Amino acid sequence: MEDDSDYEDSYVASDVEDYPTSEDGDYGYDPQTEPEISMRRAAYTVLSEEELKLRQQEALQQVMQVLSISEGEAVRVLRHCKWDVNRVNEEWFADTEALRDKIGLVDEQPTGSGRRKESCGICFDEFWVSEMHAAPCNHSFCRGCWKGYVHTAISGGPAVLSLRCPLPDCSAAVPAALVTAVSDPKHREKYHLYSLRSFVEDNQRLEWCPAPGCENAVEALHEVSNEAMDVTCRCGSSFCFNCKEEAHRPVDCETVKKWIIKNSAESENLNWILANTKPCPKCKRPIEKNQGCMHMSCSQCKHEFCWLCLASWQEHGERTGGFYNCNKYESAKKRGDYDAESLKREHARVSLQRYMHYYQRWAENDRARSQALSSKAEANDKKLEVLSEFVATPTSQLKFILDAWAQVVECRRILKWTYAYGYYRFGDNIPDEDTAQKQQQGFFEFNQGQAEMFLEKLNGVVEKDLDNLVEEFKREPGLSEVAPDGSVFVDQASSPERQAVWSKFREQLIGLTEVTRMHFVKLVQELEKGLDQLLAFYSEQPEAEAEAEVEPAAVSTAEASGSATPAQQATAKAPKRSKRSRISSRAAADKASNSAAAFSLQEADSELEAEAGYWQCRRCTVINRDLNSQSCSMCAQNRRGPISAS
Amino acid sequence: MTDQASLLLKKQLKELTKRPVDGFSAGLADDVNLFEWNVTIMGPPDTLYEGGFFNALLSFPNDYPQSPPTCRFTSEMWHPNVYTDGRVCISILHNPGDDPHGYEVASERWSPVHTVETIMISIISMLSSPNDESPANIDAAKQWRDDREGFKRKVARIVRKSQEML
Repeated sequence: MEDDSDYEDSYVASDVEDYPTSEDGDYGYDPQTEPEISMRRAAYTVLSEEELKLRQQEALQQVMQVLSISEGEAVRVLRHCKWDVNRVNEEWFADTEALRDKIGLVDEQPTGSGRRKESCGICFDEFWVSEMHAAPCNHSFCRGCWKGYVHTAISGGPAVLSLRCPLPDCSAAVPAALVTAVSDPKHREKYHLYSLRSFVEDNQRLEWCPAPGCENAVEALHEVSNEAMDVTCRCGSSFCFNCKEEAHRPVDCETVKKWIIKNSAESENLNWILANTKPCPKCKRPIEKNQGCMHMSCSQCKHEFCWLCLASWQEHGERTGGFYNCNKYESAKKRGDYDAESLKREHARVSLQRYMHYYQRWAENDRARSQALSSKAEANDKKLEVLSEFVATPTSQLKFILDAWAQVVECRRILKWTYAYGYYRFGDNIPDEDTAQKQQQGFFEFNQGQAEMFLEKLNGVVEKDLDNLVEEFKREPGLSEVAPDGSVFVDQASSPERQAVWSKFREQLIGLTEVTRMHFVKLVQELEKGLDQLLAFYSEQPEAEAEAEVEPAAVSTAEASGSATPAQQATAKAPKRSKRSRISSRAAADKASNSAAAFSLQEADSELEAEAGYWQCRRCTVINRDLNSQSCSMCAQNRRGPISAS
Repeated sequence: MTDQASLLLKKQLKELTKRPVDGFSAGLADDVNLFEWNVTIMGPPDTLYEGGFFNALLSFPNDYPQSPPTCRFTSEMWHPNVYTDGRVCISILHNPGDDPHGYEVASERWSPVHTVETIMISIISMLSSPNDESPANIDAAKQWRDDREGFKRKVARIVRKSQEML
């Protein structure tokens, strides 16, 4: 039923296609897609308004041919069956009469001769029959009354799509052709809009892109389940097909919903009030104690009372053992009067703090993601061109920087949601006996930490290090001169030294992007598989974990030495020095990518590559189609080995 | 729209004066305004309302007949489907647009083919058979269901009152 040639420009994105390839096999950055990380296949198509109309028309044609009915009837039948062609066939052939009856399809009634006059049933004026209109039931009304009837119905909303003959006892459906024939252009447009919207909104496999101003829809290419499914529209926004919130894999829709409600709910304010205030015993307004002494006076009702026992200050004299020795509280506490209350207070305080912990991290990553998005746009707009002049490389060869940014954006999004996941997955207080739970929490937090560390590193390299590098290039005399008008004159034959520094940086960034991606792939996989299974799996492979634990140290040292080179010192001497530090960071990154890939990720690697149908060289980034070859067809780099110097 | 509405109302008024329909009489509330009608409904025979003469005000919207008029009793009324302020609540006076159930009950909703005559016939039939499923006046509905004698007494009183008003 699908004719591919009709939908050439709709693309099918599967989650593993991190580097969309264009038809000529040349890999390139496609700004319409963000790399996505997931193991499950999520096949979908993005459809523009035009394509939607085409699809709708196609479904109509199909139904019209199979059932031999008119277009107007086909619209009704399809709408009734939620635009599911299979369901139409099923219902139609199961009981044609019942279905026709239900949706108001009546057999065409014979029309009388046009050469006589008849009275319109609404305005009671006489009209030539030929000038009157009727649904297939042949209850004629004049054009003016039809117009009024149809316009009122259109103004009433999408229910106009199931408009019936005005006669109360007649259930005949008013065909779209009649509606469009009698309505004016403004209403007609609205009617068509409703019709298109019905195609998307009633259809379970179609969803509108929720981004403001975007008119595309996303079509799922397989049976829709109630599970989270991240899709990316052509407008660049990612959302979950199931719940329409922003993309939130690997966390499930339920958790996201709870988290969003929690973030907006007033309940957290209440928690704070409960944890930090006591109600005035007289007027019951919440009071926060902000000064030392226990003698409180309510700022609202002027009631004076003791903060500890909440009794009126008047009866707080000798009887209670002195004004400032409130033993009433102690004895009451001994009796257990206040225990429940103060426990509740304490509990509220702890849970509020816990929520703040997760929320802050969620919110920070959210912010960082927006920043990364704008940085990516900035890089695309300006930075790449400047850089391309400095290093004598065409901007098309600098796409790896955009890839790195895209990776940062995607990872920030995943990381953000892992905090919501963490908040709900592990309770307030895990009892010490529950070792499994403790272990899982530790394991989750370790992986989260690992992924986060690589992400921070990647973010640092693509942002700060790159800026520093550009600064450095600018300062180097002879090679480039900044003219008074701000334009840069560049000696195209850049020095070999600069080329070396540049290619080191390039390799480092590409390697790091890949390693970060792998770490997040792993994190997503783990959360989707469930922690229980994973713990069992990893407890059989203790070495891999140990290995993974060693590498962070190496990388962070490298980072320290790398970024410790102040950009200002990059004078004539500096290149040498910075080169050395870069080499050490390169080595560390190599080591990191090696150990990561070699041990814990090798399997995920192969799996991903098999699914994608290619593997990408980590050195020159070329796409290798031969999954069995172990060395790059372009530069002979070993597929899994350390990245060799160029 | 207004033109069409005035023409149609004028036509219906003429028709009703020429050939009155049993059970009610109709006329303009104000001679210059075609959109406000006074109707007098005779309590249908063999019902609790028999013998009564109930006045009601029909107000037509500008886009009549695309939208339904509203009907409000000016005489005192005690009926499960009449609000305490006299407004009549029957399905044919409801716009099809605000029908949440779609077309299933569309035939009971407003349609431009309805006329003053068909509206009045519906109201008269409402008087003879109250619908206590969706009451407008809950007290009346409750009494209709639980205390039929009390309901009868109350209706008899308003019937008498309406006769005195003549």
